[in-house]
Amino acid sequence: MSFLPGLVQTTAVVLSFLLPALLFGYAAIPGLRSPGRRFRASAFTVAGLLLIACLTLPGPRDFGDVFSAVFLLATAILLCHVFWSLLAWPFTLTLLTAIAKAEHPLTLEQWISACTQGEGPTAFAENRLRLLFGGGMAVSDGERIVMTQTGMAIVRLVRLVRFATGLGSSR
Amino acid sequence: MISFVYGLIGVALFVALAPAMVSSAQRAGLSTPPAILLVLAAVIAHGLSVALGAMSVAQFQYWNAASIFGFGVMSYVFAFGAVYKSVSLEILLDVAQRPEHRAPLADIVDRLVPDIFRRRADILVDGGQVERIGASFAVTTKGRAFAGKLARIRRAFAVGDSGLYDFAEAEEQAAKSADP
Repeated sequence: MSFLPGLVQTTAVVLSFLLPALLFGYAAIPGLRSPGRRFRASAFTVAGLLLIACLTLPGPRDFGDVFSAVFLLATAILLCHVFWSLLAWPFTLTLLTAIAKAEHPLTLEQWISACTQGEGPTAFAENRLRLLFGGGMAVSDGERIVMTQTGMAIVRLVRLVRFATGLGSSR
Repeated sequence: MISFVYGLIGVALFVALAPAMVSSAQRAGLSTPPAILLVLAAVIAHGLSVALGAMSVAQFQYWNAASIFGFGVMSYVFAFGAVYKSVSLEILLDVAQRPEHRAPLADIVDRLVPDIFRRRADILVDGGQVERIGASFAVTTKGRAFAGKLARIRRAFAVGDSGLYDFAEAEEQAAKSADP
């Protein structure tokens, strides 16, 4: 049994640790201030560096070494995305930070307003619906929201994933 | 190359173990967060698959097995996280239940959005970070301390601490997609 990583595997592990540093460092670049853009730039940077390493590192390439290095880096990117999402777009935690700033107890309506920077539930719903419209999952029909075939396929997939992951079907 | 197979065996073990643990905890009414259960399932599955590989294969390559296992588990966690508490998907699932799969926007705004916020408020109340005071809510000492830590981390990474979602970014993206 060998616990020693190969050369490309070691590079992938090092690049995995570089990813959070890039997320931190790229904040200094004005064009990468938005969390989504910054994450994409960081992920593409480490992927590019791994590709360069595969082409330039000395010695013969072992297929297993390269193959597993790609999966190690992909794992790190997914893991970082989970934590980055919690940091950049946390729903429940934003509720907490919003109420922590309030100087007095808030009703639910006041709390929603504080969370949406005073925009209220309409802006919040429109913000979330924009994702569904952008993904072709729903369309607006005047004052109604209509689900598309793509939306229905996504709903079936979500129900399947909920069932397969033990979450059950909430609806 | 056989080491990769033991990575896949680990993923299979995890996929069998994780849903069983999550659904058992839900049925038993345990308040253990699903994230803890997923970590526990991953540790057990990884330990078992690596032990099996080490005993069966003389030249077992740990990192080959770990790469496949890590990717499989993270893909699962990614899918789990997406369906667990996504607001957009909650709205989509709600519309899917309606006749002809259509819902008035006013109903989403007046009923569903407050419901979504109420359920998240309940999570914070159950976690002891927020308390109910009559019809209002107030942060507890524990909640304020946690919010302070979170705000410091967000500021360190320059992701802001102003409010829910980046409305400006979403508007920018919408403008881009509308622009041919």
